[in-house]
Amino acid sequence: MSASLERGLDRFRESLDADTAGFFATCVRCGMCAEACLFYTETEEPRYTPIHKLQPLKRLWWREYTLVGRIAAALGLSKPVTGGELADWSELVYDSCTLCGRCSLVCPVGNDITYMIRRMRDGMAAAGYAPPGLVGATRRAIELGSPMGVQLATLQAQIRHQEEATGLPIPMDREGADYLVLLSSMEIVNTPEMLGALARIFDRAGVSWTLASDAFEATNSGIQIGVAELAREIVMRTVTAAERLGVKGVVSPECGHAYMALRWEGPDLIGRPYRFEVLHILELLDRLRGEGRLKVDSTFNLPITFHDPCQVVRRGGVTEAPRNLLKMVATDVREMEEHGVYNWCCGGGGGVSAIGRAEELRLKAFGKKRGQIEATGAKTVATACANCRVVMEEAIDHYQIGVELVGLTELIADHLETEESHHG
Amino acid sequence: MEKVTVYAAMRAGGMSRRAFLQACGAIAASLALPPGSGRAIARALERTPRPSVIWLSFQECTGCTESLTRAHAPTVESLLFDMVSLDYHHTLQAAAGGAAEEARREAMAANHGRYLLIADGSLPVGHPAYSTIGGVSNLAMLQEAAAGAAAVIAMGSCAAFGGLPGATPNPTGAAPVSEVVRDRPLVTIPGCPPIPAVIVATLAHYLTFGRLPALDPLGRPKAFYGETIHDRCYRRPFYDRGLFADTFDDEGARKGWCLYKLGCKGPTTYNACATTKWNGGTSFPIQSGHGCLGCSQPDFWDGGGFYRADALPFGPLTPTATIAAAAGVAVGGAVAAANRRKRAKARAAHRPITVDDLEKGQEETP
Repeated sequence: MSASLERGLDRFRESLDADTAGFFATCVRCGMCAEACLFYTETEEPRYTPIHKLQPLKRLWWREYTLVGRIAAALGLSKPVTGGELADWSELVYDSCTLCGRCSLVCPVGNDITYMIRRMRDGMAAAGYAPPGLVGATRRAIELGSPMGVQLATLQAQIRHQEEATGLPIPMDREGADYLVLLSSMEIVNTPEMLGALARIFDRAGVSWTLASDAFEATNSGIQIGVAELAREIVMRTVTAAERLGVKGVVSPECGHAYMALRWEGPDLIGRPYRFEVLHILELLDRLRGEGRLKVDSTFNLPITFHDPCQVVRRGGVTEAPRNLLKMVATDVREMEEHGVYNWCCGGGGGVSAIGRAEELRLKAFGKKRGQIEATGAKTVATACANCRVVMEEAIDHYQIGVELVGLTELIADHLETEESHHG
Repeated sequence: MEKVTVYAAMRAGGMSRRAFLQACGAIAASLALPPGSGRAIARALERTPRPSVIWLSFQECTGCTESLTRAHAPTVESLLFDMVSLDYHHTLQAAAGGAAEEARREAMAANHGRYLLIADGSLPVGHPAYSTIGGVSNLAMLQEAAAGAAAVIAMGSCAAFGGLPGATPNPTGAAPVSEVVRDRPLVTIPGCPPIPAVIVATLAHYLTFGRLPALDPLGRPKAFYGETIHDRCYRRPFYDRGLFADTFDDEGARKGWCLYKLGCKGPTTYNACATTKWNGGTSFPIQSGHGCLGCSQPDFWDGGGFYRADALPFGPLTPTATIAAAAGVAVGGAVAAANRRKRAKARAAHRPITVDDLEKGQEETP
């Protein structure tokens, strides 16, 4: 047995706490998680049943932590978990799971399958079975500061463009600002207009904000690959910058895992509470709307639907804010049949969009979302996660569907009440 | 007499054609037969001569007969006596003594191999002398009658399972009919007493199709004993919501909540009371506020008390159970301690993963 396999199995052993053991022991094998997983519904292959993706971890638990399993193992009636088995499961634990959390939501006995997949990814990564694409992204996130390799110079160039386009300053490293705003590298590279949108909204609403030169990246590849210490290192960058600048709040951008990592996992990872609040950008915008500081003077009048990013809505709890905002800016909002906490994933969350070998499966899994979008009849889909947006845009190009994606923040910025209209 | 068909006998008894067809439809429905079977039953009963029936009573209380004869006319139950030529029945026949026994022997000889034999009551197999009729032991009479029967029906829980005579300590060595009759088609219709409609439907099935209906492993017609009382009980929604009567005069009892805690044996009793009901569909025990006794299940007298909830153990925890519980706690504790050590060891071996490790692992694996 290789040293790395042993280290991976040791991480499995570490992760088998009372919660996980309880989950395995109480699974009633009803199969409802299969119907909740878009990788199963779109392929109908039983191996994509969520609980089955945990089989090696479950076997290790049974063999080493239960009485009957221990006896069976001692008598040679069950085989140990091997490297080959983990290699086979790499596709199941990484490529075919976006950590969307729908299986955990529907489990009738309350087993948090998503949480266990995260724990299993820890051991898988330690044993060397993380997909190369995700390993590369994680390396760039740790060494360069961003999973897409975006450097400060790139950001500075985009800032200059957006300052020119909007005529507004985009502050950097401003101490004492109210909010430190993070970005995802997807936004910096693919949709830099988001920066301009933020500048216009914050200018209009009178929000004091800043970017940080040493912590502009929100994406947390450590969470996606499943290694806690790497996730901690990335969270710590934001915490250090926020506390150095003395901000009241940190605003997570339109990115799903960034929000979940910073808001819900962060304090556990660093082992202490934050000295600032964490908000998703939509939460901040909805707050401004409630205070009357965010107004629009025109509306989007074509049919529009909203794709709920799993980590923001189902796993993050930001359910009402996007709807309040959308109702403010659009007149023909059409909800998908299963929306809010019951939404279906775009197919590329949880790091899957960084896994090159998963592309074919990802496009197949998009069938669910495609059906949902087409059923609404809307040709415009708003969302609040740059990763969902890019994944869906790629799939829409692939299938030639003729649907347009828009970030909700941008949509609001486009219809923002101007100084003239306000006074005029 | 043998040429008279079932239908002719019923018309002679004053039944209209319309009532006859309705009854056939009701029988088909009660047997869960497909639509249209009512006509098949009607056609069969029009053609089929009334079979000769010999009814023997052994160690019993006559409750089964009482149940049948209490049927309200004109109901499905009343058809029974038009449907068959009842050639021998202790309670109902006019003849007595040696003449009665002579009539039985004559009917058996005349219809040898074709008559239906209904037996109620258990057989004192341990001590045959405990129950005799005209100097013939019950055991010998059943063996003799069964030899010429086309089929045998064990009527009531005593004939089906031993019933009250067979309850502990069973002084007579009482045994069910099935232990004596082994080479004839046998259907058991348990219940203390059984539901009259079940008896009629079983007979109608036999007359129509020439064979007994589908039976469960205890020889009971599946159409009536396929589901538990509990499955079909109108109080089931209260059970599902955890709403129980704790005493017979509390709020729960007045509101008609589930009687499980008061010893209702509905969950373990297979019978049709909750759907067919009693006294012309008026009610059944649970509907009148008392739990099911489980009278159609084997050994129901020895089931540990009518008012003891199904899930409770029959007796106090014995030393065996105490030792088993202690051993369970000890083994569980030992496994938990071992698991704790294993996790602690894995945690001690914990070394932070660097990005280099993520790739290194992949090179090492074969």
